[in-house]
Amino acid sequence: MFEKRYLGSRFTASLMLVAAIAITAVSGLSYMKMREPGPDIDRVVPHAGFEHKRLSDWFEGLAGTPADTDIYVQEGAEPGGTVLILGGTHANEPAGVIAAVVMLEQADVKRGRLMIAPYANPMARTHTFPQDAHPQTFSFRTPNGVTRAFRYGARITNPVNEWPNPDIYIHPESGQTMAGIERSNLNRAHPGVADGGATERLAYGFMELIKQEKVDLAIDLHEASPEYPVVDALVAHERAMELAAMVTMELEFEGVPIRLEPSPKNLRGLNHREWGDNADVLAVLLETCNASAGRFRGRTDEALILTGEDKAYEKAAGLGRLYVPWESFDKRFEERVARHVTTVRLLADNLEFVREGKGVTVEGLPAYQELSDLGVGAFLSD
Amino acid sequence: MEWFWPEGFYTIVMVGVFAVASFAFKQPIAVALAIAAIIGALVSGNGVPIDHLIEGSFGYLDTILIIFCAMIFMKTVQHIGLMESVAAWMIRKFRVLPFRLTMGITVLLMIPGMITGSSSAAVLTAGAIVTPTLLKLGVPPVKAAAAIALAAIYGMIAPPINIPAMIIGGGIDMPYVGFGIPLLICTVPLAIFTGMLLIFPSLKQHAAEVGPGTDDSELEEELTRMSRVPLTVRLMLPFFVLVVLLGGERLFPQYAPSLGMPLAFLLAAASGLLVGRDWKPFEAATEAIQAALPVAGILVGVGMFIQIMTMTGVRGFFVVSALALPAWLLYVGIATSLPLFGAVSAYGSATVLGVPFLLALLGRDEIVVGAALSLIAGLGDLMPPTALAGLFAAQVVGVKNYFSVLKVCLLPAVVTAIWGIMIILGANWL
Repeated sequence: MFEKRYLGSRFTASLMLVAAIAITAVSGLSYMKMREPGPDIDRVVPHAGFEHKRLSDWFEGLAGTPADTDIYVQEGAEPGGTVLILGGTHANEPAGVIAAVVMLEQADVKRGRLMIAPYANPMARTHTFPQDAHPQTFSFRTPNGVTRAFRYGARITNPVNEWPNPDIYIHPESGQTMAGIERSNLNRAHPGVADGGATERLAYGFMELIKQEKVDLAIDLHEASPEYPVVDALVAHERAMELAAMVTMELEFEGVPIRLEPSPKNLRGLNHREWGDNADVLAVLLETCNASAGRFRGRTDEALILTGEDKAYEKAAGLGRLYVPWESFDKRFEERVARHVTTVRLLADNLEFVREGKGVTVEGLPAYQELSDLGVGAFLSD
Repeated sequence: MEWFWPEGFYTIVMVGVFAVASFAFKQPIAVALAIAAIIGALVSGNGVPIDHLIEGSFGYLDTILIIFCAMIFMKTVQHIGLMESVAAWMIRKFRVLPFRLTMGITVLLMIPGMITGSSSAAVLTAGAIVTPTLLKLGVPPVKAAAAIALAAIYGMIAPPINIPAMIIGGGIDMPYVGFGIPLLICTVPLAIFTGMLLIFPSLKQHAAEVGPGTDDSELEEELTRMSRVPLTVRLMLPFFVLVVLLGGERLFPQYAPSLGMPLAFLLAAASGLLVGRDWKPFEAATEAIQAALPVAGILVGVGMFIQIMTMTGVRGFFVVSALALPAWLLYVGIATSLPLFGAVSAYGSATVLGVPFLLALLGRDEIVVGAALSLIAGLGDLMPPTALAGLFAAQVVGVKNYFSVLKVCLLPAVVTAIWGIMIILGANWL
């Protein structure tokens, strides 16, 4: 198999070695930028009243590890319930991340308590996934012309933090088997393991936070590919179904159609299943439509992330392969963020009806049309 | 034209540059793929994106490590004399029982794939062990290589571990539960058919030739040479270590540690130091890396190629074009595009095409359809340039031209694809 004609001399070997070192240096520097991105990337400017904490405040096992992540807490003047919002469980679902950041920068809590984890899995933000060809960052401009740039990460934890994965991942709680890569997927690792792998420990940290803070409503913000059946959807644990149904109807009244899906009982490790089963919390997950992580996507660049326009998806829609009405469908980034923010606002508004005395009132969040019209940059601080 | 331009043009450029570099300029496949990726990036206005090229190649880092370590294991069992000794034992015991020997060899070839979910691992372990037996009993090398590659693929698809099925199921949040029977239906008839087609006739002929009164002193002499290192339970130690490490992790995950395939292969190879003939580990490891380097290089090149395909939109162009086939051609599309895209890797095919096809077939029993799609995607491991199962099988048997092996694989591969489609069509009745 190894043909002699490919064997070289010491000179060619040295030359190849030098070339390899040079290529490693150039590409390595590029990858290091994802791990240490500089102060202007992923910067957040929390609204007045938010207190900065770390997930390790609830689970010490995360302290000093790359899995530890920022949690921002704002308490209103009136007592009420607690709402937890996660963005960035999957760092390649950017509208979820940015919706959490917009809420962090705009929310003014009047009643109850709001907790936001904008970058739920920080280890998924430090790399892009091989062969996905995603750009490292995407950005917005604020009204004053300041550029706010954010990393486009991956679905799973960086292998630098957790490698190698087993060939088969056994979900510790249920014994369910999955492809090995799922061990590094935060949304397959719940409720987590205190002394498990990095992602399992991170999941455990969120479970502890929910239990210790007696969170009433936990919302995880995601995005899905247009060819995925659960897109523009709200997935709810059975105890959260009443609240989810109310919100679905209100969204329909506001002209924001959304699917309501029950949390599958036999698919384990997902937060809406495990949080709901392991704590007295109403657990929901939101999905918007993200072409930039889809299987049919064409040219992969920042424009695809922000506009959602893609001729491969357009053709796939014509073939009836999508679960969204592509042509009439608004897939712009601002629409996806507006959808998340509006759904979260309505969930919080209606919490009082299903948990008396546990309502949470948040003011300052941009309205659906406002966000959709003015764009995301208008609601990010300088 | 609007659909074709510019992605169709980039496709032609990338495939064309690859073909010219490999056929006209006789570059190794790995180098031709890398050149095609670079030209594709340049033509599409992306310059030479070194970070993307390297990132793409890292998609196969784990696979490359497994290949290197499995090859070290294979060289070890060769060096200690285990392989020849097993072959001599099998020939003595079963050479007059061709059907049993055919079925036994087929099962033996499938087992590592069933346990590891990897056809390469099956070829490099069981394939390497049965090769001398097959050749000594008169199976032509190309047929032996084809039989090993196909049985390894059926093993990869058979339960309990089928990674393509897990990937396809994961794409629609379907847990890997209830796949056992459908996967057996997918694989067992094909494994029997392939064994009977490629191995049995030669073994039967050999059995007829060694009837009472025939002179087989030459073979006996050869068998004596092959069994210089007596086959003892102790000599089998590296194989037992591998079975315990790989099987334990999968069958008893609550108790066995997860070492990963590379470490399991290395530990099993290291146990070879305790048994058999004296051998030089450094020499065996060097031989192994040299033998595996071209395939590793191909994987690096394929990784770069896919990254640039994705970046430029060529991947989407290919996938949606496959889906654009008219409804009556959907099944033909499944039977052809899944194996063709497997030229990248069976796992890649399952990810990129398996999930959309499963979505296109919703309404039929999803587990059965997912199992059948994984079977068809598995054929990708025969498809050049990567052709992991096929290339390794050719290498193990000592066939230089893989295309001669591929030719023999063609009929069983077509039957496999047809069987997969029949299972999809009958999914709701199974």
